[in-house]
Amino acid sequence: MKQSTDGGARRAVFAPVDNRARVDAVVRRLGDAIELGLLADGEQLPGESELAGQLGVSTVTLREALMALRQQGLVTTRRGRGGGSFVSLPEDPGEERLRVRLRGWSPEELRDLGDHWAALSGTSARLAADRTEPDDLVQLHRTAVELSQAPDPAACSRMYGRFHVELAAAAQSARLTREQVALQTEVGALLCLVLGDDEYREEVADRHRSVISAVQDGAHDSARELAERCVQESTARLIAVRLAL
Amino acid sequence: MRSSPGLVGTATPTLDAPTQEQVAARVGDALEAVFDAVAETRADATELLTRVAARQRRPATADLAALRPGLHLRLTRQELVSGVGFVAAPGLLTDVPSWLEWWQSGAEGDLKPLLLDLDPQHSAYSDYTHWDWFALPRDTGRRAVAGPYVDYLCSDEYSLTLSAPVEVAGRFVGVAAADVYLRHFEAAALPLLRRLPGPAYLVNARGRVAASADPAHLAGSLTKGPDFAGVLERARPADFDGMRLFPCHGIPLVLVTAAR
Repeated sequence: MKQSTDGGARRAVFAPVDNRARVDAVVRRLGDAIELGLLADGEQLPGESELAGQLGVSTVTLREALMALRQQGLVTTRRGRGGGSFVSLPEDPGEERLRVRLRGWSPEELRDLGDHWAALSGTSARLAADRTEPDDLVQLHRTAVELSQAPDPAACSRMYGRFHVELAAAAQSARLTREQVALQTEVGALLCLVLGDDEYREEVADRHRSVISAVQDGAHDSARELAERCVQESTARLIAVRLAL
Repeated sequence: MRSSPGLVGTATPTLDAPTQEQVAARVGDALEAVFDAVAETRADATELLTRVAARQRRPATADLAALRPGLHLRLTRQELVSGVGFVAAPGLLTDVPSWLEWWQSGAEGDLKPLLLDLDPQHSAYSDYTHWDWFALPRDTGRRAVAGPYVDYLCSDEYSLTLSAPVEVAGRFVGVAAADVYLRHFEAAALPLLRRLPGPAYLVNARGRVAASADPAHLAGSLTKGPDFAGVLERARPADFDGMRLFPCHGIPLVLVTAAR
């Protein structure tokens, strides 16, 4: 007998495919803007329909995103006259908030993120070894230097991400580069949690320098292996932090 | 009509097949049209910034809005151009440390401004002064073709960027530039390359393939060995190890075919 399947699962099938992704994108965009101080503590956000229009999402998507931001304590909503949504910067330090974010990832999801990252960076390094000449490596050298000189974990993680984006660009692949940029928006902030260790930061800088050398020598197999190992080590450390939470 | 089996592989050029020189010239013409858009932007920016300087004040981002009608016109009129604008030298404008007055055409032909986070506190990509499209015109004082390269700053596309320095009273103040996505350039160059009797491709001064009708040398790969920069400097055809090299007049691309 055929069962009536008019329940939630069926509705989910016909929901706009990227709705969840849109909500997450809005949460991340506004969340990052608040964390970074682009939106000031206490600042009133534009009205729902105006904000939804500016972000190019439906009001339903925006409402879901605001609900998530309220749960994270980054937005408060007051009703009635003079009401609306307001930015509220939490008082706990950045590292504590990052740990909260990390808790949102299961160890399995982090392992999978690491696999994706290793695939992107490993392949990028292999292709770059075939497709670069010395002038193409100037950016990577500069980023490796800035990484070892970064004043704090946040700056270090920005350089870490930029290195891997530049590596994908050196591979001459727009697709790998776009994937790497997208991946860095997910993993970038979390990496701050493992880059606070000075010794490890220097190790990461060394690993990046050895990737550059292999690329420069056209040694595509070792370039791939070195890039993969660099990424796998960082992911393993991140998972260790996650498991200790 | 197909040739008889006995003639397969000889591929004798027909009477109307172009010569390598003609193909190189027509590739050059296609990019000269893009350089026209760069030159117009450069002229507009020079005029605007000279006018502001004559009023004894420094320019701000609001002043650059006057460039928009021209930029929009070039984006809609020039088929190969997908992005166009003026990129200020850091420190030029009073209200921001750095700025790109940059417009792009979207998938549906809509025009939109590029809005970048150029704050070094948040963005790892705030310094754009090392990119070839900025550094080459600044350092040489001449127009330049950058790429092919993956443009992860502005378009996320594999691109060529054509640019020229903008100077006011002898001082470098930024560059005028236009983006050509490589797939569009290849679409324009491929019909020309395929009319040649043998496999042919175009490389930049560093030997990076920019468009190819040769499956053994695809766009993005490197051709090592010949001194392509030297061929461009001498502006004369040359031979290297079974390759015939033709410089595109005025444009830093070299047409590579088999020597025969």
